[in-house]
Amino acid sequence: METEKLADPADPGAGLAAVVALRRLADRLEDSQVEQAMRTGWSWSDVAEVLGVTRQAVHKKHAKRLIAAGVALRRR
Amino acid sequence: MSTSTKDVRAVLVRGARSEAQLDGAATIEAEHVLLALAALEGTTTARLLAEAGLSRDEIRAALDREWEQSLAVAGIIVAVAELPTATPDPDRRPRIGESTVRLLKRAGDTASGFGGGRIGAAHMLVGVLDAKLGRVPRALDLAGIDRAALRARAAEAAEQGDH
Repeated sequence: METEKLADPADPGAGLAAVVALRRLADRLEDSQVEQAMRTGWSWSDVAEVLGVTRQAVHKKHAKRLIAAGVALRRR
Repeated sequence: MSTSTKDVRAVLVRGARSEAQLDGAATIEAEHVLLALAALEGTTTARLLAEAGLSRDEIRAALDREWEQSLAVAGIIVAVAELPTATPDPDRRPRIGESTVRLLKRAGDTASGFGGGRIGAAHMLVGVLDAKLGRVPRALDLAGIDRAALRARAAEAAEQGDH
């Protein structure tokens, strides 16, 4: 792989790598921002509404991690 | 190397899993295996990596650069070091990812090609380096690593049973 090709948007390898990079970025932001919201007292329902998912989905995905991280979680 | 092959595998799996956990990743990918290989203290495989400029921390830095570079392809300029971090889930059990399945297959092929025997760390490194596509080869290329030369040294070590 030549170094110029690594960043060439016309190269499918670079374009597909950008997709992976964006997913990683979205995952990192979701984990950090949900944690931040819950630390500042947001409810699961509010977080779910902003993310456009169900309360159950966001709870299932993040509750265990945040409890382990010592975040005081609100019931609703 | 004083530890048995079985021990090395256990250490490697544990290491790769904790690297994946640290990333908040759902799956253990080839990059996590590479990081774990570099952290196998006192092994030939880790020494070969270090001599090529790929200590565990240097690999992390190269992977971050790859992330930044690939985001830039999509027009997003981000300094990974400045991204907000999330507390990792210590109980999360990341599954084996597709890139790891592929590298294990290649490591197995390499091991049997060299007259059979168990898969050792050097076989795994060959398996990692044989990937032509994905985050690892991109990161290594960006870091200016001569993948072919490193692969040749890893294959030589594997052939001699020196892991």
